[in-house]
Amino acid sequence: MKCYEVDNEAMIYYLPRELDHYAADRLKRKTEEIFAQQTVRYLIFDFEKTVFMDSSGIGLITGRFRRVNDQGGKVYVIHVGLGIDKILELSGIYRIVQKMDSKEDILKEMVEGGYYA
Amino acid sequence: MHNTNEMTVEFQSIPQNESFARMVVAAFITGTNPTLEEVSDIKTAVSEAVTNAIIHGYEHKEGIVKIRARVDGRTVYLEISDKGCGIQNISQAMEPLYTSKPEEERSGMGFSFMEAFMDRLEVESTYGVGTIVKMWKEIGVTGHPYE
Repeated sequence: MKCYEVDNEAMIYYLPRELDHYAADRLKRKTEEIFAQQTVRYLIFDFEKTVFMDSSGIGLITGRFRRVNDQGGKVYVIHVGLGIDKILELSGIYRIVQKMDSKEDILKEMVEGGYYA
Repeated sequence: MHNTNEMTVEFQSIPQNESFARMVVAAFITGTNPTLEEVSDIKTAVSEAVTNAIIHGYEHKEGIVKIRARVDGRTVYLEISDKGCGIQNISQAMEPLYTSKPEEERSGMGFSFMEAFMDRLEVESTYGVGTIVKMWKEIGVTGHPYE
């Protein structure tokens, strides 16, 4: 199972079942090169499989946010369940990250907003 | 009926043990009949404390993390300790968003999460000797938001 995918200037992270310090570090290392190799403007964090997250997950998102923010990018979270939502809400991350239902909804918003040709 | 139970577990300070620590504590508190949300809150708090011990206490070096857990009726008491470097300035460490390791992309929210998800938090630390994090939570207080 792939843990990430790159499509044009968008990168999607398929987050693991448990997003802790161990998992966040592994994900960071695996995707580090991609940021050096190409322009990534849009980030999508997919929580579909995720049932646990701690503050290391917040560190992962804010760290990646800094990278795309310089490029005028945007960060989304999708398939957020109640337990994960509580953590994201508490962290205040919704000030910089947008919650959407699915990837399709993000694409729709991008096309309508004129982000995508 | 008033039940008490106690356990102690010690493990090596490696990141792979973070999930082990959460599972052990979650299994131990089952007898208090917690809601899914309460289990989740406690797992998050344990994860934060154990991660701190590994990253900050032992600074990724070898060491032993110890968890003492006690159930007294519906009160859960947790003590997570390390014999690592200790915290020089506890009040600064506990400030929301403060991190001594921004280069590791730590969020600085570890203690904030422990405070938010538990009822009470106490941190004792001696520089060069180690740190003890003590946390309490009453089970059966929060509702059933998942139902």
